[in-house]
This record gives sequence, structure tokens and C-alpha cells, in this order.
Amino acid sequence: MSAMLLNKEKWPEFVGKLTGKNVWAPQSDGTEMRFAPVGENEKVVLDYNNTRVPPKGALFPQTETMFKFEIGSDKVEEPPLDQEVVVLGLRPCDARAMTIVDKLFKWDIDDPYFVKRQEKTTLVGLACNEPGLNCFCTSVGGGPAATEGLDVIMADLGENYFVEALTDKGKALLDETRDLLEDADDDAQKQKEKLSGEAEDKIKRSVETEGVPEGLPGLWDDPLWPRVSASCLGCGTCTYLCPTCHCFDIQDETEGIDARRCRMWDSCMFSEYTLHTSGHNPRPTRKERTRNRINHKYSYYVDKFDVIACVGCGRCTNLCPVNIDIIEILRQVKEAL
Amino acid sequence: MDLELLRKTGAEVAARDDVKYLLGWKQGTYGYRVAPAFVENAAGAAELIFSPLCTANLATYLTLVEQLPVPRGEEPDTRKVALMVKGCDSRAVTQLLVEKGIERDEVVVIGCPCPGVVDPALLAEKYPETEEPAEMKWDGEDFLLIRNGEETKISRDELLAEKCRLCRYPNPVVSDEMLGEPVETWAPGEDKGVEEVEAKDVDSRLEYWMDQFDKCVRCYSCRNVCPLCYCQDCILDRLNPTWVNRSVNFSENTAFNIARAFHLAGRCIECGECERVCPANIPLGKINRKLARDVRDKYGFEPGVDPEAEPFQASYKPDDPEDFIL
Ligand code: SF4
Ligand code: SF4
Ligand code: SF4
Ligand code: SF4
Ligand code: SF4
Repeated sequence: MSAMLLNKEKWPEFVGKLTGKNVWAPQSDGTEMRFAPVGENEKVVLDYNNTRVPPKGALFPQTETMFKFEIGSDKVEEPPLDQEVVVLGLRPCDARAMTIVDKLFKWDIDDPYFVKRQEKTTLVGLACNEPGLNCFCTSVGGGPAATEGLDVIMADLGENYFVEALTDKGKALLDETRDLLEDADDDAQKQKEKLSGEAEDKIKRSVETEGVPEGLPGLWDDPLWPRVSASCLGCGTCTYLCPTCHCFDIQDETEGIDARRCRMWDSCMFSEYTLHTSGHNPRPTRKERTRNRINHKYSYYVDKFDVIACVGCGRCTNLCPVNIDIIEILRQVKEAL
Repeated sequence: MDLELLRKTGAEVAARDDVKYLLGWKQGTYGYRVAPAFVENAAGAAELIFSPLCTANLATYLTLVEQLPVPRGEEPDTRKVALMVKGCDSRAVTQLLVEKGIERDEVVVIGCPCPGVVDPALLAEKYPETEEPAEMKWDGEDFLLIRNGEETKISRDELLAEKCRLCRYPNPVVSDEMLGEPVETWAPGEDKGVEEVEAKDVDSRLEYWMDQFDKCVRCYSCRNVCPLCYCQDCILDRLNPTWVNRSVNFSENTAFNIARAFHLAGRCIECGECERVCPANIPLGKINRKLARDVRDKYGFEPGVDPEAEPFQASYKPDDPEDFIL
């Protein structure tokens, strides 16, 4: 589909045209960037590295009310999930992550919540010109200008954004905003390619994955696991903030006779995650939990869905309070193979 | 800090037959990161460091490490855990002793007199982190940043962590061995962060905290990193009864944050770890310090300074004037 240009001065107007839909975009609260619904006065910030909390919540919210009910009655009410959503300015890794969790949510049955949200959601990505310190997307099948999972890709060319529709949904969105866009010429196309090449060169850290998915199970009792997990706090940071982590718990919550069934993010790094009612825990310490996290991403998922469940966004490494570094763990895995 | 002395002492302690491992700090995998080190033998002590980047409070591992049941016919490992502590960290050890979370003969405490550490977020903001591991040193009144072979002198005021600015105990209050001479203490100064929030009227204060708690992702990093959050059965994990719902929203997040803060009133030793690790950037220190100040002003109690003290939340005085209780 044809490439266009959006002058940066027209950006607020572009965002304005999308009102009526629920627009999610990166915004700053003064200390950090996060994806939040765009209201009247909020300013969308596109000059950012990445948000700490990934935009996976657009399709898989941290708390999803599945249905509401009243105790003692058989009336059940399901939230409609019919709101159209546009996620603006998400990074290529986070979009690619959505194609990875997609496989899980459409595996044996189609998960209705995920599928309904996905149908109504248009993903407008923004290529990275300045990758972050721990970005290693290029090692795991992505890249700073990758388009997988996106409906529209944008790139910052300085004065203009390069804008290109990649799917019918993306085309529909650009049709709505057509009067703000101009056709991109060859120069713009070349500039975009040059920038993405430069961005790739700026990526400093990398992992080698060859042989890892097949080799990991054989390292089950390797001394590397107690070594890399000794200082782990068992918190939810590396999993909640991972764009491909998709574990959830389901709970009924009540207020008086009003009740709702919710599902919410869960984390395999929590000790209760595998705790049995008997008191037995098959993953009794952080060693087993860390081993599971890495195996799940780099082996089990590959086995089941033929793709590594890590897009190299670097969040787990940036934000782990005790410097548990997935790039270093994979280096040690590779060494032990 | 004399690195040679640190490593020599570390090696001696780690080699002791009655020591399981020594907890210290080592260079991290990139940039400004420092990682906790579990040193099991003398050779491992060669990687130990103590620098303005050593923010982590290692006392949390005294209660965090999970013990597997001892197999039938085997003896439990009763060896001691040795750890390096800054002033604030040593207060956590003391408070754990007061609460009988640990026994004195279970630990070997190596005190590191502390001139103050940097605020890692501020450091990364002002001097962008690069993938090369960087080093930092105390240099008289200043910090010295060494990266990619280049040295940069940075004034202490520019980067000192808030908790350190307010620190009254930079010299460890409990130790078996002290590394070097005590540092000179400094006047803690005003707690601007707390005062700013106190100065707000009730509505804007509520609004301020609503905005903050709204960001919480309930990762429980703040709880897990805290040396004094060590309940085996935390009320936040309880489902029956459910004290705090799993749903992540303003109301539940607030309930969680209030529970956490109150359970630490009179116990928090202001090491600042909870705020440092919070991925949502919630200024948890302001809550803890406000409570700590109230406990100090109203009850004359300060946690983690006297191993013989009666635990604050477990003490009762029949003649308590109760002059501010509604
Ligand atoms: S690896 Fe780091 S972020 Fe993950 S659970 Fe452990 S301490 Fe938390
Ligand atoms: S495992 Fe880490 S680097 Fe990989 S996608 Fe998740 S957060 Fe990003
Ligand atoms: S609070 Fe005190 S003891 Fe703790 S790091 Fe700061 S100066 Fe050192
Ligand atoms: S560390 Fe921050 S985000 Fe995580 S539970 Fe605590 S307050 Fe919430
Ligand atoms: S509440 Fe925070 S500052 Fe207080 S002891 Fe725990 S981690 Fe340290």
C-alpha cells in the first residue's frame, strides 16, 4: 500500500480526527511514559524510548471483567467490548509481541475477550530511531522498523512522519485522515530505510539463540540456574512488564451481593503461582521459577508455537531491581550447551 | 572505601566453616548496575565492591531465601549468613533482631561506613547509561564516575539519594567487624518531599495519591525487596478472606498501599529500597518517611537503632496519654 507523509504540525489534528474511537497513546506524567487514553488536554508524546508498562493491556488488560452477576440470582451481564480502539505510537517489538500472544489466545479455543478486543483494535506503530540500551529485537526475529502485527507503521523523518498502511484496518484509518496526508516521494522512502538501517546499527546488545530451544531442557539441573536466580526477589516486574507474558488468574470478587468474575495478570515468578492446596509447590524456590521463565520463553513456546516468546524489548532487564539480565542468562545458557 | 580490605575481609569471612555464604555487592552486567553477590568461598570475594552505586539493602535476603524441607536422615544447614551493610541496612538487621525475625548468632555483620549513595534514576537521567559497566567512587566530598576510561567528577549534592540526604545513621549500628573508620555524620536537612505533600489540602492530597496509586501494577516488588516485609503468609496473598482484591484499580491499589505502609509504621528503617524498585515510579518513600516521622514525634520511637528495644507495634503502655487519638 502506498506510503504517505504527515507533517508533524498536523499531528494534533490527526489525533483529533480519531476521536469517537478510544485512542491510546504514550503520555508523560512528568516522571515516566505510559500508554493511556487520550483525553481533551493530554499531550501525546512520540519522542520517547519506550513505556515501562507495555501496551499489551489494549488486548489483554491487567484486569478484565468477564461478567457481572448477583449472588442468589441467575442474571449474568457481560460487558459489551464493542469500543473501537486505536493504539498510537507503539513500538515494533510490542506489536510483534501481540502476534506472539495471539497464538496462545487462539490455541485450543479462541479466547473471546482477546479476539473481540483484537477485532476492534487498530495498531499504529512507530519505528525506533534510537533503540534503548537493552533492546535486542534484532536477535529474536524483530527489528527497530519491523511491521509484524501492525496495521500502520510510522517513522519519524524529522519534519514529517512517514506513514504507511499495512492492513485493511490500517488503510481504513488512513482513509479517515486522508486530507491531512500527502503522498510520500522516493526520497522519503529512502530516508526511512536509511534511518532504520542506522537504528539497527545502534543496537548494542544481542543474544544468540541457535540451539537454545532444543538445548534448554537438557540444562535442567545445570548449576547456572541457582547462580542466575540467587538474588531474585520473586516480584512481578519482569513478567507484568513483559509484552509477551500472558499468564492470568481468574477470581470472583464481591461487593455485597454484587459480584464479578475477573481475570487478571498473574506471574510465574510469584511463589503462589504453582502452590497446590496441599501445600506442595512443584516450583518451590526462585531457582525453579527463573528456570521456568526462561524455558517458557525460549523453549516451551518454540516447541508449541514455533516462535520465541521474547521480542527483545529489554524491559525485564531494564527494570529488574537486582540486575537479573536476560541477555546474560542466555549467554550463560549458550555457554553451558 | 579500601577495596583491598573489603575483599580480604570478605574472603576470610566467606571461608569460615560456620558461614554458609556472604552477601555483598558486585559489578552488574552493564551500565550503572550493581548486583547482589552470594559469595560462597574465598575466591568469590575477589568480585566484591562497595561504591556509591551499592544502593541495594542486602538484609532482605536474610528472610527472603526460601528453605526447602530437610530430607529425611539429613541435618539442617545451620551455618551463619554473613552480609555487608551500610548504615541503613544495619538498621534493618537491628530491627529484624528486635522482632526476632533473625537471631544474632545466625548472622555475621560486616559494617561499611557509608558516605552516601547515588540516586540511580537521577544518575541515569543526567549521565545517560551506556552498555559498558561503569564504576563509581567517593572522592572527598564528591562522586567520581569512571566509564569508558573517562573520569567525571560530580558534586555530591547533584546525585545524592534522597534517603541519604536525610540519613542520620550512615555508620552501621550493628556489626561484628567494621571496614575502616566511621564517616562523619551530616545534618539531615528538611524533608521537602514529605513537607510538600503535607502542605496540600486534603482534596489535592487525595488527588495526588490517587494519581500515584493509579499507576501501581501490583508487582509487589516493593513488598518483596523490603527487609521488613517478611510475613510467611502475607495478607495480600490471602484469598480467604480476601483482604485486598486481585483487581488492579485505584481502590484496591490504595487498599494495598495503605496496608503495606501501615504494616511498616514504626518498623521501616528508611532504606528507600521500595521506592527504588517500584517500576511505576511511585514515591513510596514519602509515605514511609511521613509515618516514621509521626512515630518518632508522637511516640519517641525509632526503629532499628537499639537491638534491645521493645517492638513498637507490640508495645502497650497503660499510662499512654493518647492525646492525639480520636
Ligand atoms: S528476575 Fe528481577 S524482576 Fe524478575 S522476579 Fe526476579 S527480581 Fe523481580
Ligand atoms: S523477556 Fe524481557 S526482553 Fe523479552 S520480551 Fe519479555 S520483557 Fe522484553
Ligand atoms: S541512607 Fe545512610 S547508610 Fe543508607 S546508603 Fe544513604 S547514607 Fe548510606
Ligand atoms: S513496586 Fe510500585 S508498582 Fe509494584 S506493587 Fe509496589 S507500589 Fe505497586
Ligand atoms: S518500607 Fe521501604 S524504606 Fe522502609 S524498610 Fe521497607 S524497603 Fe526500606
